[in-house]
Order: sequence, then C-alpha cells, then structure tokens
Amino acid sequence: MSEAMTAVSRGARALYLLGAAVFFGLPLLWLLLAPTRTADDLTTGSPLDFGSLGQVGEAWSHLTSYNDGEITLWIGNSVIYAAASVVLALLLCVPAGYVLAKQEFAGRRVLLTLSVVTMIMPPAALVLPLYLEMSALGLTGTVWSVILPLSFYPFGVYLAFLHFQANLPDSLLDAARVDGASELRLFWSVALPLARPVIALIAFFGFVRCWTDFFLPFVMLSDDRTFTLQLGLMSLLQSTGAVNNSSGFADLDIHQPEAALAGLVACAPLLIGFVLAQRFLRTGLLAGAEKG
Amino acid sequence: MKTLTTPRPPTVRAVPPARPRRGRRPARATAVWILVGPYALFLAVFGLAPAGYALWTSFVHDGSFSGARNWTAVLDDYRLGDAATHVTTYLLLWLPILLLTVLSLAFTLHARPGRTSRALQLVYYLPGAVTGSAAALLWLFMISPDSSPFSPLLKLMDIESATDALSGGSLIALLTVMGVAVHAGGWIVVLYGALNALPKDVLEAAQVDGASAWRTMWHVKLPMVRTYVAFVLISSFASGSQVFVEPTVLTTAAPGQISPTWSVNQLAYVYATQDGDFGKAAALSLAMLAIGLLAAWIVITRTRMYATNSTDSR
Repeated sequence: MSEAMTAVSRGARALYLLGAAVFFGLPLLWLLLAPTRTADDLTTGSPLDFGSLGQVGEAWSHLTSYNDGEITLWIGNSVIYAAASVVLALLLCVPAGYVLAKQEFAGRRVLLTLSVVTMIMPPAALVLPLYLEMSALGLTGTVWSVILPLSFYPFGVYLAFLHFQANLPDSLLDAARVDGASELRLFWSVALPLARPVIALIAFFGFVRCWTDFFLPFVMLSDDRTFTLQLGLMSLLQSTGAVNNSSGFADLDIHQPEAALAGLVACAPLLIGFVLAQRFLRTGLLAGAEKG
Repeated sequence: MKTLTTPRPPTVRAVPPARPRRGRRPARATAVWILVGPYALFLAVFGLAPAGYALWTSFVHDGSFSGARNWTAVLDDYRLGDAATHVTTYLLLWLPILLLTVLSLAFTLHARPGRTSRALQLVYYLPGAVTGSAAALLWLFMISPDSSPFSPLLKLMDIESATDALSGGSLIALLTVMGVAVHAGGWIVVLYGALNALPKDVLEAAQVDGASAWRTMWHVKLPMVRTYVAFVLISSFASGSQVFVEPTVLTTAAPGQISPTWSVNQLAYVYATQDGDFGKAAALSLAMLAIGLLAAWIVITRTRMYATNSTDSR
C-alpha cells in the first residue's frame, strides 16, 4: 500500500473518531456550561461560552425557591431510596451468591436459572405487573413500593456468584470445616472477608440502577413530595410550562439555566462515578468475561 | 442499567473438575436456607408473583372470570396497532444504527489501542450517565435551535423549533439519536474488551498471511465476537420494545404533539392508571413480558453467554 493511501486511511480514521467524540461529547459539554450562563446569553450567544460561577449560584437559588425547595426534597428522596435499596440488595445478594456458588442443595438449579432469566429480562417488562400486585397489597404510593422491588437485584447475585466461584477455593472452606466451624460461621469468617471487591461492584451498579430508574417510581408514586429527582425533573418541566410554544424554552418561569442545572444535578453522581471509577467500571463491565 | 450486564465469552469454558460429594446433614440445609432464603423470597414476591398475579388479573373482569375477554378487548383497541407500529419502526431504525455505531467505533479504536483510545472510550461512554428524564431534558435543548450547539445542523434539516423535531416521524429519529447516544458507549467498552481478549496468535497469523486490516476485521475478528453482536442486538431489542420514559417525558414538553399512548407500554400504563382497567393492563403487559422472556430465552439457549450449567463446575 502506498504511503499516500496510509495517510488517507489514517486521516479518515481520526476524522471518524473525532466526529463520534463530537456527537457523544458536545451535548454533555453544553450541559456543563449551560448553568453558568444567563437565559439571554444561552439563546443569543455562541453555544459553548462559559458564563460565570456566580451565575450557577443564582440559578441554584432560583431552583431551590421552586415550590418551597422541593428540589432538595427530591434529592433527599433519591438518596434515601437508592441507599435503602442498595443496602437491602447487598444483604440479599452476597449470602445468596455465596450459597449458589459453594453449596449443593435442592432447588439450586431452579434459583440460578430464574435469577439469570429475571436478570436478562428488561426490568421495564415487570413494572406494570408489579404495580397491579402492589395495589392489590395496598402499598402503592408508599416508599416500600419502590424500595422493595428495587432491592430484588438478580444481577448482583450473579456478580457475587461469579466472584465466590472464582476467588473462594473449596479447600479453604474444607479446612475451616475440619476446624469445626459451622456453616454460617464459614460464610461470616471465611467468605465475607473475601467479598469486599464484589460488594463494591454490586453497590456501584445497584446505585446506578436505583438512581436512574424512572418507570417504577413513576408508576408507584403520585404525591410529588415523595418523588425522586428523575420524576421531579419531569414535573419541573411540566409545571413550569417548559416547551409549550414553538419558540422552545422561551416562556419558562424556571429558565433554561435552571432546567439545565437540575438536569446536571440529576446525573452528577453518575458522571463523577464514571470518571473516578474508570478502571473499576471496566472490570465490572467485563467481570464475567474475565472470570469465565 | 441495561448495558452493564456482563456477558461471559462462550469460548472459555473450563472442563468441570469433579466435585466431592458432601454429606447432607440437616444443619447444613438449615444454614443454606438462612443464607439464600431471603433472596429466594424476594425472587418469588418481586420476580414471579407479579407475573402470576397479572396472569390471573388478565382473565378477570368486574370481579368474575371472563375468559379471553380482556385479551380480545386489547387486540381490538385501535391504539394498539398505532403503538405497535411506532415501536416497530423505532426498533427497525435504532437497532441497525446502534449496531453499526458500536461495531465501527469498537473496531476502529481497537486497530490502534493506547491512551487516546481509552480516553475516547470514556467520552463515548459518559452520555450513559444521562438517562431517563435527564436525557429527555438535555435532548430537548439539543433540538431547540435557539440554544443548541447543533443549530447549524438543525437549520439544515429545516427544524425551526423543538416542536418541529417532536412532531410526526421526526420523534422516531430523535429517539434513535438519543438511544444511540445513551447506549452505544457501554457496548463499545464491552466489545472493545472482548476484542482485547481474543487470542493474539490468531490475529498475528492473519497479519503474517498478509491480510489487510479490513480483511482481518471482516474475516477474523467479527466472526470471533459474533456472540457479543447477537447479545447486543437481542438485549437492545428487548429493552427497546419496552420504550416508555423518553416519549413520556418528551410529551410533557410538547403537549398534543405526541400521543400519550405512543408506545405499547404507554398504552398499558394508560389502561392501568387512567382507565383503571387492570384486566386489560395485565393482558397487555403480559404480552410485553413474553417478548422480554423470549429474548432472555434466546440469549440463554443460543448465545451461551450465561452458562448456568457450568455452575456445577467448581
């Protein structure tokens, strides 16, 4: 191949990767910059200007004055629901993953198969059946209708299962058995101390799942004071009349910078998590592949 | 988060070493169920019971058994045809574009691994953090020519306001763009990792034989990762068929532009909440659940991504 050809193909490659970076990156960059600017500047100025940090504070105070600071309530709700679901999921997943990986018992295959099926199935498919069940139990509208279904996390069990299978040798368990340790003691003193990495992994992915979930809380919750931030964003758009006319966001009470700031707050934990935990995330994404 | 499920490669499956038979003392069985019981209970109550209860509900009307009445009522609803057409069109547009984006970017990045490639993966992956209503909000801005950094492009496409970009067929185009922006990155990371795990000697052999980069990709790398490709397609099909959040949130921004029963799940939601017709809601959501189950079944039996029988191995 001639050198000119190589240069052309190298150029085409760089151009393609760069174009993709613009498509994926530009909206995020805009979202980061928008809260620093005034509404006027956003519509008249060039799209990627930086305003001032003072403007962010101003936008935040506008946001917090919306409905007596409802946004802080939503943030608190999101944190509480996610934390409760993740803790509960960990309490369920880690022992279950251990037992499925390390013990023979009747029902093991059934449990594993059902876990894998419910894990691969899109979660949205179960939301309305869950709603019917919860309203039969009279639980809709309560925090439990969100926290309990979210703490059933088969993917977490699968992660724990893979982890114990790969990292907990039978010889270690047998040695402890010879020393007279009970089966529960084995889990507590041998398995659990080895589980730290997988606990972090389950907590991370579980948090991402709970924090971003929309369909389930949307169906279960009706009082806007119990909303999560994801739901609150929608009600903010709705009640401030967001894009009611053809001129876009022009007649919002809460203007563009405030809406953008609310959106940014809603995805900030994940953005920070994804950047800080890059290596961790990669191992999580490929956990199964590496331990096969 | 859908994209984060971790596939296992079908190629590396160790031969199971024989497992020593252990005594089944009752004490051990008790311990096992203390540890796994709570999870099993949650699996039953929040995984199986909803489906079972929905099945029962779908055959009940006004408190008495009504046979297939709810099911035929759903099938006769003219809104179902519209919703199914919308979702199908969306899938037909989104799936090929998503797959093409993921494959081309993963392969291009893998041709020259290194720091740049890792940094670009992060850039492609980060939009995965902006999901649900935040994604809808962000893309409402992106389609408003006043504020969008893509405004020259919007002008080119004759879009003068956000409402233009939400009306009629352009909603499907917008959902496709959003779907690619949010989901492609996670799959790129997974596929890149799969490419990295390919045996080096095979790739080198291809190089020694004088295969061009293109031929190596098409005839060596692609066949080796085709299970992953199938996995991306099936699980994206399953999650895409359930589309709910995006049209719901976008509707609130432009009332009247998008039908509240635009997607199938939205229709089921309207049955359950606005019509208060649980029978019809149950029937329709069970039909959607069947699609999800079918996809899961294909993944398990055909792609061998999750080898539950290898669980007997250690």
